[in-house]
Amino acid sequence: MLKHPMLKYIREEGPAGKRLPFILCPGCGAGQVLNYTLHAVDEIINQPGVKKEDFVFISGIGCSSRLTSHYLNFDSGWTLHGRALPVATGVLLANPKLKVIVFTGDGDAAAIGGNHFIHAFRRNINITVICVNNGLYGMTGGQVAPTTQPFTITPTTPYGNVEEAFDLCKLATVAGASYVSRWTTAHPFQTIKAIKKGIANKGASFIEILSQCPVHEHKTPVEMINALKGMTVSIDKSMNSNKIPVGEFHFAPRPEWTERYEAIIEKCNERIS
Amino acid sequence: MVEAAVKEKKYPGNFRRPYIKAGRHYLEGSEACVEGALVAGLKVYAGYPITPASEIMEHASRRLPQFGGRFIQMEDEISAACALIGASWAGAKAMTATSSPGFSLMQEAISFSIMTETPLLIVDVQRPGPGQGYITTSQEDVMQARYGHHGEGPIIALAPSSVQDMFELTIEAFNLSEKWRTPVLLMVEETVAHLREQLIVPELDTIELIKRKKPQDLNISPETYLPYGHDIVPPMANFGEGYNINHVGLVHSEDGNVSNYSLKVHRENIDRLHQKIEGNVNEIARIESQFLDDCDHVLICYGSVARTGLEAVKEVREVHGIKIGFIRLVTLWPFPEEKLRSLISKVKNVFVPEMNLGMIKHPITEALRDKCDRVISIPEIGALHSPEKLIDQIIKGSTC
Amino acid sequence: MIEIVINSDYCKGCSICVAFCPRKVLQTSNHINSKGFMLPEVVNLDACTQCMLCEIVCPDLAIAVTGK
Repeated sequence: MLKHPMLKYIREEGPAGKRLPFILCPGCGAGQVLNYTLHAVDEIINQPGVKKEDFVFISGIGCSSRLTSHYLNFDSGWTLHGRALPVATGVLLANPKLKVIVFTGDGDAAAIGGNHFIHAFRRNINITVICVNNGLYGMTGGQVAPTTQPFTITPTTPYGNVEEAFDLCKLATVAGASYVSRWTTAHPFQTIKAIKKGIANKGASFIEILSQCPVHEHKTPVEMINALKGMTVSIDKSMNSNKIPVGEFHFAPRPEWTERYEAIIEKCNERIS
Repeated sequence: MVEAAVKEKKYPGNFRRPYIKAGRHYLEGSEACVEGALVAGLKVYAGYPITPASEIMEHASRRLPQFGGRFIQMEDEISAACALIGASWAGAKAMTATSSPGFSLMQEAISFSIMTETPLLIVDVQRPGPGQGYITTSQEDVMQARYGHHGEGPIIALAPSSVQDMFELTIEAFNLSEKWRTPVLLMVEETVAHLREQLIVPELDTIELIKRKKPQDLNISPETYLPYGHDIVPPMANFGEGYNINHVGLVHSEDGNVSNYSLKVHRENIDRLHQKIEGNVNEIARIESQFLDDCDHVLICYGSVARTGLEAVKEVREVHGIKIGFIRLVTLWPFPEEKLRSLISKVKNVFVPEMNLGMIKHPITEALRDKCDRVISIPEIGALHSPEKLIDQIIKGSTC
Repeated sequence: MIEIVINSDYCKGCSICVAFCPRKVLQTSNHINSKGFMLPEVVNLDACTQCMLCEIVCPDLAIAVTGK
């Protein structure tokens, strides 16, 4: 039977049984983000000099973090809530040649993982952070998140959210990420390109993807994707618009953490010999 | 390419040869710990400053790049412990050192490393608690070492008593973590971390070093590799070697599948983790003992209290003629119940001096319930027991 | 001959492929798979230009089109 080309990167089953279909809900944006990421990785893997075994996927906890769990035919780690970034940092300390891609969500990255978010970007450590932002905590029932708009009703804001939402791209830029961009699940080709550019960037890359959670928003996936398209506008046209800007916000390569440390190792060994 | 700013900086002098030379040294416990770790093959240190453990981190920051390793000061203890997990998954021997409040922060990461069977070393330089407590010495985390992480899941914890131990037990801790694919804790006290005394380093090629078993070593191909299978201690593939290993923290089958949950799968997972360590306690745990032949009483201690304990035992035997034996637990967890029972036939009093209000006295009481008349706990908060205090308690306990 | 195959084990009937197809090749059918999802079906194969959008946007990797 003709199979989806990206299934070659998926562990469809193992000795203990089948692993697919994905645990994600029907129409989940995270599934689309996985598809886009695999397309981006597929294009890079086919470049000369790139080895598939150099790719490592690390995730935290949440619906978007389920993308690693046990599905990928790559080295992967499904870690602690909010702590994907420090684990990814550790991976690079041990082996800076690995291409580390982090799947995280808005709650995972900006709430419990907030501190690690700003420091990983401050360090400009060579990771590509793909943040699936659905504006709520999907896995646990749709609770309010740091990215939920004010006045939204959620299971923990039954009278309406009294807080403002983070702009994750601004946060990442100010913290020091060298490549920052935002797209939505309604922009497949742009997302794939952004992820490719993020992986190629030698430094900390942040790609935010606004995504639908049809179950907790009580809408159909298609409705939500159309809404995502409608509520966003390209950066160059965003000046006079209330819509959410999407596109490349920031691209300023600067010295990467392991590169700087490599200089120290070289110097130390010089003095010894 | 070496950046200009880096070129100009003055590097800390002290470029002695990479490994510590065999022979006699005079070192602080913190330094001895790092030197031992480097001999064991430490390649990644991720830390966070906290009194009284910061010296270990500072020493590691100076020495690691001399070995081509990488040091990083993270933004908090949680991320320090998490960085060790990633480094270990990518094949490096990794460690950190913290003190009691930081140790509390690392418990989730420890629990996760037990479930994912990730080798790493965490040094807890204990200080009194609760809260900020104080910055001097204590043994108040020894129960937390075993039960501080959430959930079931055994762990290995060692208790050094000297600078020599800081060197040797650090190497032993790394060996245990690699051999049993588990996190290992080194339960140090501030006393030993800040103590300066003689260290004798043997010829380095006489030191046994253990590396984790990999599927390649057992001719297991990536297609047939089971990340949590093949053996009670599963061979561990490192990132970047083409084995496509998926590390997962939910209960899982041998192939890492997390979606075929059943009580059977759950219990098999937990049972194997438990048996891996507790079932091999006699191989893993070590005890040192003296004067046990025909003793009427015994003193059981660990860590730096063992130094005072031994002195007290010797004096009580020589000066007061009381036949008391001496046992030092080198390994606190897994608790060596069987070994302890085999060392003692029947005694009257078991004295357990601890720098807490009585913690290891509990498994000791359980282990020796039918081998002694009573267990006498000798607590001391915030400082070492004085030999006089121990001698006093032993005499009092033995004569009434 | 272009082939469009929908994997009835993996498809969750979200209809994203139907909505994204620029040539209205697909439509949600009345076929229910073993999990209770209504699968898409090909209703206008001749209109397919093999743009591969359906493949790219599927959250479950459940649709495949023979490549150009």
